Amino acid sequence: MSAPGTSEVGVRLAGHFATVEQQRRAAVLGMWAWLLTELLLFAGLFLTVLVLRLLHPEAVQEAARHLKFWIGATNTVVLIASSLTMSGAIQLSRLGWQRGMVRCMLATAALGTLFLALKGYEYHADYEEHLMPFLGDRPYALDRLPASRLFINLYYAATGLHALHLFTGIAILLVLTRQASRPGFLAAHQNRIEIYGLYWHFIDLIWIMAFPVLYVLNR
Amino acid sequence: MSGSATTGDAHALRDPGIPHATLDREADYLHAEHTLRSWFFTTDHKRIAILYLASITAFFVIGAVTAGLVRLALVVPDGQVFTNDTYNKLFTIHGVVMVWFFLIPSIPATFGNFLIPLMIGARDLAFPKLNLASWYVFMTGAFFTLVSVVLGGVDTGWTFYTPLSTAFSNTWVVPALIGVTVVGFSSILTGLNFVVTIHTMRAPGMTWFRLPIFVWTHYATSLIFLLATPVITLALVLLILERAFHIGVFDPAYGGDPVLFQHLFWFYSHPAVYIMVLPGMGVISEIVPAFARKKLFGYKFVAYAAIGLASVTFFVWGHHMFVNGQSDLASLAFSVLSFAVAVPSAVKVYNWTATIHKGSLRLDTPMLYAMGYIGLFVLGGLTGLYLATLAINQHVHATYFVVAHFHYIMVGGTVLAFLGGLHFWWPKFTGRMYVESWGRISAFLIFIGFNVTFFPQFILGYLGMPRRYHVYPPEFQFLNILSSAGSTILAVGYIFPMVYLVYSIWFGKRAPANPWDARGLEWTVASPPPAHNFLTEPKAPEIPYDYPIQASETQRHHS
Repeated sequence: MSAPGTSEVGVRLAGHFATVEQQRRAAVLGMWAWLLTELLLFAGLFLTVLVLRLLHPEAVQEAARHLKFWIGATNTVVLIASSLTMSGAIQLSRLGWQRGMVRCMLATAALGTLFLALKGYEYHADYEEHLMPFLGDRPYALDRLPASRLFINLYYAATGLHALHLFTGIAILLVLTRQASRPGFLAAHQNRIEIYGLYWHFIDLIWIMAFPVLYVLNR
Repeated sequence: MSGSATTGDAHALRDPGIPHATLDREADYLHAEHTLRSWFFTTDHKRIAILYLASITAFFVIGAVTAGLVRLALVVPDGQVFTNDTYNKLFTIHGVVMVWFFLIPSIPATFGNFLIPLMIGARDLAFPKLNLASWYVFMTGAFFTLVSVVLGGVDTGWTFYTPLSTAFSNTWVVPALIGVTVVGFSSILTGLNFVVTIHTMRAPGMTWFRLPIFVWTHYATSLIFLLATPVITLALVLLILERAFHIGVFDPAYGGDPVLFQHLFWFYSHPAVYIMVLPGMGVISEIVPAFARKKLFGYKFVAYAAIGLASVTFFVWGHHMFVNGQSDLASLAFSVLSFAVAVPSAVKVYNWTATIHKGSLRLDTPMLYAMGYIGLFVLGGLTGLYLATLAINQHVHATYFVVAHFHYIMVGGTVLAFLGGLHFWWPKFTGRMYVESWGRISAFLIFIGFNVTFFPQFILGYLGMPRRYHVYPPEFQFLNILSSAGSTILAVGYIFPMVYLVYSIWFGKRAPANPWDARGLEWTVASPPPAHNFLTEPKAPEIPYDYPIQASETQRHHS
């Protein structure tokens, strides 16, 4: 009963649920519970960074001045844009506009990849500037400030963990896009797009916390 | 011949003269399929519970054998039985295996997995594949930990304190850390599944205040799984990075702080105590009304006490650091908050006792374990208050007093609850009854063996014997021998159930659907339950624990 050019939208009932409504609620709650766990994971890391900033303000400030603020800022914009395209995909999935939805998902994956590329470029620049203190056999630029070493290492831990999440997210998104481009997907699994959207927005949100904690706060 | 379970296919290699095996009842979850594949790739919550039960029993044996070796070493005061290194590795393996591979998954991953869907009237957990994945994640973590043991062991103690674990230990710390980190994810997945299932999968009419307390305590436990486990994941990842790359986070030379690890560690590991204790409290709350034939006293208080414990426990981690240079103000706050834990704990104990009061008691095996639990939990809990007192803590910190205290909670509490629950639901799990007299004998042996093992340790600790040393002043030898002797009684008490329970699987009497005349939806289905739990739509009881004897509170309620 769908309008021309759109496909039917719905969720196919899995055997162990009583109703589709119950199944949808379970899936959404499951993702929120997972994100809660993830939030606590990153919270511990950010807390460690902030404690360090209290203990050694000068060293942390000096180290933070060497971070590539503008790459970080550009990446923030890139990720916010990717959340916009992801929201577009969710809206279009609700309307049953499968082609538009798939395009939005591809755009989201592309923006995510752009973020990783920029991040990689940033890591490369850091390497050139001898800002990789965890590499034991490479001289370190800020050797006179021992606590700066820890801040830079934590910067790698936090951004690395975030990048890992983003990388996993892009991989899942591509698989999902492939599934979602098949006919009949929206009639059976529309809620997967919504659930996945929650995860994507969450990765975005983590960066929006990481960027001020690492780059902005210490300038 | 009702409900014949033959497949009906002609097998080429079969003699057609021999009739197919038949089942004289409805096919249950154990008999639905027989292949190895149907076990290792099952998504049935009941089969996954059995997989967990088999795995954690294996880990319990490893943990128990290392405990036995530790007790053996402590029979003589001069530390001649093992080298110092071996002794350090033994108590580390004991702690790591018992905490992370037995106690934490013990009740939730087995009984919780099996019973929560049955108790709330659901066909399965919300995410059956995730449930299976959690078992594989668990086994992967276990693999790494066992690898570290096989390669030569770890000597840091189960707490992995820095700087010993980062700068000084020359043992296989990293594989052990990876194992514990990975196992955390299996807890997270189990907790996530429970939270979603309890929120969304309850049968029509099964409101929150009709849920068994077992479900409430598992809900509280799952919240801890979700909120605390990621923090230790992070702490252990930082520890791995520290050991592998010297990132400096726990090293003062680089501006880090070794005590920061303790904060992150105990932010999880104190709540983890309630991961171990709360499910046990759920088990006791099921057993006590069933064997007192009486409605659970103060249902809502017991339910709220579970949530209360799960909440307060997030704010007491600092009581592990009273002597580690924490500020006096922080210590004072943590001390007061630790005292607050006693309130919901006492609510539970008083309500169980009030349920027993004027009940019609049947002292069957599960009830013996439950009563043992209540007594030992009170002792363990009260000595917790001693330890939360700042002045006394200075005296007994890191002595055997602490060891005795947490074994009263972990063994006297959790292990007794586990065994009580195992006997209570064994007919449901397997469809067989065990021999009751053997059950009672081993319950007594465990209670006596436990007390002989651990009560002397309170005295040893109070007299000043530090934990984690195998060389000690000769005047402590008598109490140490007493403790080691007790552990042999305890061992016999553990071996008995392993024998008669396994025996009952093949030779036990067939169990009826409800052998204890207990309330709760899990007793309305056959023993063992059918593959999809409920053949007819489950009907939620209007009153939970609707046993014949009612407490006066309900009578007042009617007036």
